[in-house]
Amino acid sequence: MIDYSEKIKEISKRLLEEGRVDIVIGFKKGTVPMMNEPCLVKSSGEVEKFVWDSNCGINLANYLTGRNEKTGIVAKGCDSRNIVTHIIENKIKREQLYIIGVPCKGMIDKHRVAAMFDGEIKVVDEKDAKIIIKGENFEKTLDKESILQSNCSICIHRNPVLNDELVADPVEEQRDVDRYEDVRKIETMKPQEKWQYFEDMLKPCIRCYACRNACPLCYCPTCFVDEHRPQWVGKSQDPTDLRTFHFLRAYHCAGRCTDCGACERACPVGIPVRQFTKKLEKDCLELFNWEAGMSLDVRPPLDTFRPDDPDDFIK
Amino acid sequence: MEHMGIESGRLQFSWVSSAESTKFVDVVKEVTEAIKALGPNYSFAKTQAKVA
Amino acid sequence: MKIFKVDKQDWVAGVEKLFTAYRLVGPVNEGQFHNFKKLNKGELPDFNFLNTRLSAKSLVHSQTEAMFEYSLDENKENHHIMVDVKKDYSSQAVIGIRPCDAKAFLLVKRNFDTSQYRDPYWIRAYESLTLVGLACHNPCSSCFCTTSGCGPFHEEGLDVLLVDTDDYYLAKILTDKGKNFLIASGWDTETDADGGDQKIEIMKKAAEEKITVLINTDKLKAKETIALYDAEFWEEVAFSCINCGTCTYVCPTCWCFDIQDETRGKSGIRMRNWDSCMFPLFTLHGSGHNPRGKKVQRVRQRFMHKLKYYVEKYDNGIQCVGCGRCVNLCPVNIDIRRVCELMNAYDPQLECPA
Repeated sequence: MIDYSEKIKEISKRLLEEGRVDIVIGFKKGTVPMMNEPCLVKSSGEVEKFVWDSNCGINLANYLTGRNEKTGIVAKGCDSRNIVTHIIENKIKREQLYIIGVPCKGMIDKHRVAAMFDGEIKVVDEKDAKIIIKGENFEKTLDKESILQSNCSICIHRNPVLNDELVADPVEEQRDVDRYEDVRKIETMKPQEKWQYFEDMLKPCIRCYACRNACPLCYCPTCFVDEHRPQWVGKSQDPTDLRTFHFLRAYHCAGRCTDCGACERACPVGIPVRQFTKKLEKDCLELFNWEAGMSLDVRPPLDTFRPDDPDDFIK
Repeated sequence: MEHMGIESGRLQFSWVSSAESTKFVDVVKEVTEAIKALGPNYSFAKTQAKVA
Repeated sequence: MKIFKVDKQDWVAGVEKLFTAYRLVGPVNEGQFHNFKKLNKGELPDFNFLNTRLSAKSLVHSQTEAMFEYSLDENKENHHIMVDVKKDYSSQAVIGIRPCDAKAFLLVKRNFDTSQYRDPYWIRAYESLTLVGLACHNPCSSCFCTTSGCGPFHEEGLDVLLVDTDDYYLAKILTDKGKNFLIASGWDTETDADGGDQKIEIMKKAAEEKITVLINTDKLKAKETIALYDAEFWEEVAFSCINCGTCTYVCPTCWCFDIQDETRGKSGIRMRNWDSCMFPLFTLHGSGHNPRGKKVQRVRQRFMHKLKYYVEKYDNGIQCVGCGRCVNLCPVNIDIRRVCELMNAYDPQLECPA
């Protein structure tokens, strides 16, 4: 995957020099292990910054909102689906974009890896499908497969669905993946157990809104939690208000979420926030046969009416 | 709602035309009875903010 | 200063005794990380941690804190009057706070305890604390305390410094509060002060040497504020920021809050909640105007406050203790160490050649 970096630099340089784009959005090497920083490059002289490895979990589509330049953007499978969603929702024009597609084999789960070791992880290197983790008194080589972000290990759209150029040949898509094992587990619980499950899950929340802000879908000028006339949600750490935030945020992602995992990755206290959105994603698939961001030509289910829409819930 | 732990039946949907007064009455009766049978809801109901 | 030797076999009994004199707080393993929690009888602080995920600031400034309560019921005495909420300010001992978090209280104190204004909630809570610090033998690679006015064995702000020597703890008493703590614990094996001090000095050196990331802050004060404010690098620094509140909420020195009233029926409370300069709502005026409506303005504010305004106002270093939490937890890896370098090295003349 490392050689993707060179290809990204090469393409970006060409696009900037030819004037195809004004800017390119990609990643630069992070300052701590398992982190890369999204960055914007304006001239071909700067493209050397660009890097690609298994730590590019942030969704770059998030950086497209409100841009009006001709924009080159590096996009893995999920990013590309969110770009499609952005286009469908009129947040950006297809003509403005040059999508540098990255066939992706998943990103590593920094929360999980950090929790695997007692001491501090100082260096994380990767070679082929192996990840080498080094600390002061330890060194361990792990299969990348075994430490993927949970959304990546169940991903079935690793290749960009929309692109102008790929940095490499498409990778093989995962087949026969059970995407909703965890959701089904919750579905079988009794109401009180469900309530408790989410109550426990949200306990560590500090309401920093990193999950919301890392999400490319959350581009509202003013979020409902920030409205104060009227104020929809209390601002304290009251559990009902916390739940309202998470629950309504998830609702706003219904039929739009691509399960890119940026929310979970961003959370500073390791809450599996996807447990909310995944249920909606599963429902959209089962009720409307819908997966978000797969095509520019189909309107999303919550956007359209079909006479055969499921309506059993209406008495 | 059900997924996060609100009992099924607490949230109900119905389509009632302004001309269907009997249906409206029936629906209201049915819903109130069903909700009463469930008892009071303690989840997702905010009293005074719980703060330190 | 007296130094006591605490045998590890006496540890449990000592902590047990402390419960009679204090409410105890310590680092507790919460699964993926440690945080400060109230200890219940029989519980011990868990020292198997690098640093807690959240800082210790919530011990004196909880994320949501009730200030007043009120009733709107006219049949009640005191209706429509704000009444202080009763709180427990009895002595509290924090066992295992890192020196950086203890020092951070002092930086915040400069703002919450001034000759003009004294924040009663913060001060009462702070004064109830006895801070028993745990020296850091293994600072993280994201720590830069030694160049931000602190250090892995830093004593300022602590009442006792506890040093783990593997076989036993050395407890260095730094204040009267610290002395009382030791008395209450029953750990009374005084060691030869010189020998103990030497041992601590050696370990301190070793820990300090492990910190390889140094930041330069020497030129920040002399920089012209407006020039720094107008610097071109802010756009680049702010690009990746998603404007969440992670950096401010995990920061031990970020102190901003917002006051809210919540009424339910006829009774209500006035409370304060942490707020963050990263949020657009933070500066939104009643008129609808927002002086910091853009992301770049908010990002600049955070760094300018910590590394320039604070430096100028208090003339006592930066508003950062180098704990590295924001560096580690920022979802997009914005690194205050890099921003500090940019600010410290900034020369407007170099940036815009005539």
